[in-house]
Amino acid sequence: MSADMKFLVVDDFSTMRRIVRGLLKEIGYNNCEEAEDGVEALNMLKGAKFDFVVSDINMPNMTGFELLKAIKEDPNLKHLPVLMVTAEARKEDIVLAAQSGAAGYIVKPFTKATLEEKVLKIMQKLAAAA
Amino acid sequence: MSMDQLDQLAKAQEPLLVSPEVFQQLGTITRTLHDTMQRLGVMPKLQVATDGLPDARSRLSYIAEKTAAAAEKVLNSVDQAKAEHTGISQATKELAAAIVADPVRAVASGAVMNFVKDVEARTQSIDNHLTDIMLAQDFHDLTGQVVAKVVKLANDLEDSLVKLLVQVVPPEQREKVDPTILQGPVVNAEGRTDVVSNQGEVDDLLASLGF
Repeated sequence: MSADMKFLVVDDFSTMRRIVRGLLKEIGYNNCEEAEDGVEALNMLKGAKFDFVVSDINMPNMTGFELLKAIKEDPNLKHLPVLMVTAEARKEDIVLAAQSGAAGYIVKPFTKATLEEKVLKIMQKLAAAA
Repeated sequence: MSMDQLDQLAKAQEPLLVSPEVFQQLGTITRTLHDTMQRLGVMPKLQVATDGLPDARSRLSYIAEKTAAAAEKVLNSVDQAKAEHTGISQATKELAAAIVADPVRAVASGAVMNFVKDVEARTQSIDNHLTDIMLAQDFHDLTGQVVAKVVKLANDLEDSLVKLLVQVVPPEQREKVDPTILQGPVVNAEGRTDVVSNQGEVDDLLASLGF
């Protein structure tokens, strides 16, 4: 796992995309692109190689859950770790995300430390599985 | 309340200031309105919308709290970062003066090294404050989602109320309250002063208004 890993940040709010992107940069990941909903994200994922997806849930056109499902059903994408970063704090959503194959779940508002911890944890799991 | 109950109520309130017929009339109107609303399906929708009002209030309070907290956080971080910045400026001036006065002593006394350490610590602190300021902007996402929900509620409420209003006003007044009724082509403009009958009149009207 290197600092060259390519991240895709998916959120319908540009402010939140910038925040996540800024925090990832501080954590040490500079290679980061943005998508504003699941549809755009899926197109980008199919068109280029990404290593990590950070996605919101409540988005127009295609929700984070639908995106997660599409990623996990695609043989070319299913290996991608998907970290959900969302304001949806219901337990059933968190359980559903986990059952659908999410690598992690962060509830907004969150801190830099939380994001760093979750990203590192996922990286360690990936390294162990490799 | 049944008509009989209304009747009894009216009789019990002797001496009456208004006749029992007024109560009966009121009862009839209320019953008609209630039945009409139920039949139209307005009542359940209106009920849902009004049930959402306390929720909307708490959502609006949430927005007020979130935005206030974000502003407070940003201003505090800016104050602290500015203080660090002022400290660096001051230390830089002092070191410059010390070097100009006696370069050898400035290095030998440890002033240069102290300055380097000081700047390192202070810039780290400033960086932390900048991160805090960045994170404080999450209120945009969080409140934006809540605003969208409140706007939907307001739309639902408006929709139900307009439907209700359209149904209860006399037919000749209906077009005044129904925003969905567009007038369309004028079938018979003769004798009407409220419509135009050709493009020339449109242009004239606009010209008279200074366009």
